[in-house]
Amino acid sequence: MKQDVLLEARRRWIIYNLPFGPLRDCYAHPLPRSERDYRDTDYLALDLETTGLYPAKDQILSFGWVPIDGNRIRLEGAQHRLVRIDQAISADSAVIHQITDDQSARGEPLREVLADCLRALGGRVLLAHHARIERGFLAAACRQLFGNEPLLRVVDTLALARRSLERRQQAYRPDDVRLHALARQYNLPQMPAHNALSDALNTAQVFLAQSAYLDTGKPLLLHDLLT
Amino acid sequence: MDIELIEIRDFLASHPPFDNLPEATLATLPKRLTVRYLRRGSSFPPEDEKTPALYILRSGAIELRDRSGDLIGKLAEGDTAPSACDDRRIQHSILGTASEDTLVYLLPCELLSKLRAEHPEFAAHFDQSVSERLRRALDSIKERGPISGTSLMTVRVRDLINAHLVSAPPETSIEQAARIMSEGRCSSLIVMEEGQLRGLLTVRDLRDRCLAAGLSPQRPVSEIMTHTLHTTSADTLGFQALITMSRLNVHHLPVLRDGAVIGVISTSDLVRFQSANAVYLVGDIHKAEDLKTLVATARKIPEVQIHLVASSATADQVGQAITAVTDAINLRLLELAEAELGPPPFPYCWMVGGSQARREQSAHSDQDNALLLAQTPTPEQAAYFQSLATRVTDGMNACGFIHCPGDVMASNPQWRQPLATWRQYFSDWIERPQPQALLNASVFFDLRALHDPEHLFPSLQRDILRKTSENRIFIAHMAANAIKHRPPLGFFRNFVLVRGGEHDHSFDLKHRGTVPIIDMARVHALSAGIPDVNSLERLQMVAGSAALSRDGAANLIDALEFIGTLRVRHQADQLRADEPPDNFLAPDRLSALERGHLKDAFALIASLQETLGQRYQAGRFA
Repeated sequence: MKQDVLLEARRRWIIYNLPFGPLRDCYAHPLPRSERDYRDTDYLALDLETTGLYPAKDQILSFGWVPIDGNRIRLEGAQHRLVRIDQAISADSAVIHQITDDQSARGEPLREVLADCLRALGGRVLLAHHARIERGFLAAACRQLFGNEPLLRVVDTLALARRSLERRQQAYRPDDVRLHALARQYNLPQMPAHNALSDALNTAQVFLAQSAYLDTGKPLLLHDLLT
Repeated sequence: MDIELIEIRDFLASHPPFDNLPEATLATLPKRLTVRYLRRGSSFPPEDEKTPALYILRSGAIELRDRSGDLIGKLAEGDTAPSACDDRRIQHSILGTASEDTLVYLLPCELLSKLRAEHPEFAAHFDQSVSERLRRALDSIKERGPISGTSLMTVRVRDLINAHLVSAPPETSIEQAARIMSEGRCSSLIVMEEGQLRGLLTVRDLRDRCLAAGLSPQRPVSEIMTHTLHTTSADTLGFQALITMSRLNVHHLPVLRDGAVIGVISTSDLVRFQSANAVYLVGDIHKAEDLKTLVATARKIPEVQIHLVASSATADQVGQAITAVTDAINLRLLELAEAELGPPPFPYCWMVGGSQARREQSAHSDQDNALLLAQTPTPEQAAYFQSLATRVTDGMNACGFIHCPGDVMASNPQWRQPLATWRQYFSDWIERPQPQALLNASVFFDLRALHDPEHLFPSLQRDILRKTSENRIFIAHMAANAIKHRPPLGFFRNFVLVRGGEHDHSFDLKHRGTVPIIDMARVHALSAGIPDVNSLERLQMVAGSAALSRDGAANLIDALEFIGTLRVRHQADQLRADEPPDNFLAPDRLSALERGHLKDAFALIASLQETLGQRYQAGRFA
């Protein structure tokens, strides 16, 4: 609760100093409150395909996102967007995300895609698998293009998976907490990997399953899921 | 649409009723869906879902129960749940539980009504009953096939015959008839008198009955033509004509339209459409001089099945064709045995049982047969029949019709008896039925005379049918046995699980598919005293009686044909791959559509078993 108050104060402070634009619009939404039931909270599952792992030197190639209202995925809001980048895509990374220079050249400027993503994120919790990547790249891109980082509440399906295994004191390998292993564990259909929207949808589905399994009938708060 | 939701679109496109929607409409659907996850054990529809929707199962399984807690259905991947869109009461009258972790797609009701209004094929799924859906599936099976349009399944006899009718009056001389045939370049001549069919003259008649017999070519054709004729009609399917010819072992059939002769269909007309077929096999069998030749011919039976399946024949047609070949081999073995052992000391009837009697054989069936003797044999006479029966059953075995595992064969002295003993056997089975004994004897309640020159069989058959139709206790026992094999209603719940190991992931198309229907057909036929043994004919005969409604019979016929056809196809695939054929179908070999139809067929069988059980109070004996 205390954190909610602090965050809210910070939001108001930053928005005061932000120029008009997509980031400020995003800030205009109050942050999801951590003491609310997780089913009364809205999320945006996001996946980014990037040229590498380091926000400082690597670039975002594509965005995939899909909104979740409480415990329902709304495919209506699903989006997949390619970004035009100004460097050649290394063969190594192209193998993983399957995006070629040609495709990227047909993409949109990062500023436009990022603006739409921020609009979709307004008032929602950021949901990602291994959220450090999405969070880091979003922060770097926003700082570069809009002068500041977004203020976000984050739920990480990877962290939830680790937490539940550790709580049961169960040994696991990194492979066991990958998105596809989790999808299999929860009897979910296997979407093709390494496409930003498919992975966002995979993440969203895994989250529905994880939260359903954490939901024991007692109130389950956003607070209990936050990273 | 974002290209990535194509995966969801493809999923919808491969499941009924969405498979009926045009591509452009399908592409718009994924974006309209909501996705929900139901943990195992949670209720369905989810309690917090206030607005009705059409639920589509993406993964997992759901059990549906009515208010009294009885299981009314199981939903698996690709199934749509009964929708509360039309009638909100459904939401409350059906209590579902996710029996596995389940992911569902929700399609809004207003979109559903729009789709139904715009796409009649799609709408039909929601309006049709289970039995209607199955019937349509069967129709499409019959239409389908790699060479549909030119296959014997779809072509009519009228399209196969020569448009020009070649005929002559009976008093025509043989020489003149031969000239007419030569000019017409045909292998047969219709003999007509005052517009009436009198006979048929073939090249073979000219050779055998005239030239070889030294008959004067100036004699009239009526002396050498075939008088008693089987005919076929212009609208008969090429396939049925083929079956008739192979059963009669003839090569020509006059074709009638509205009672008038319009031509002759010959096997060479058919051969243009079908190269490896039962007619030629039967022809070879009649010519075979020894067992070795018969064995070599019998090796082609699997090809017959492969070929028939390729031309989209149904299970009934495959069964008829293969049984025709089996009968021919069996008869030829009897002839060869008699030729070797000399004529029998007194007449006998060679009876066949089981699938051969029902004309429902497939490649690699086993043999069931028995002997009905005209009188009680002396030890010497008994020895004769012993050798005869052993030669024939061993010969059948060598030809691939393996010895009956239950030893129901004429080579077993127990099944080589005079009429009085057979009457006693049947009296025991019918008047003092014992469940186990009846199970073993069921093969004798599908009985057909294969070789019966002195017509011994009809009197035994009349006797059996009179007893079965009068004896309610016996019928109740048979009914109890008939409903023992239940269709695997729960089967689909298991096979959606990819977790493997604990479940046997295949399904016995025979014992849990066709056998329950065949058993029911037998009970109805015996109870009504109907002499037919073929299951489809039995069901057609009892249709509309008090025991089985016309609809019920039609549904059973459709279900039998559908499952049976899946079975002969599955076996044809195995035969083509040089594997021994079996009845175990792995569900992943079925399309989602076939899976749906199979499920419909199971539901029909289960409900008719229920009816049968109640009617004959089978529960008391089960």
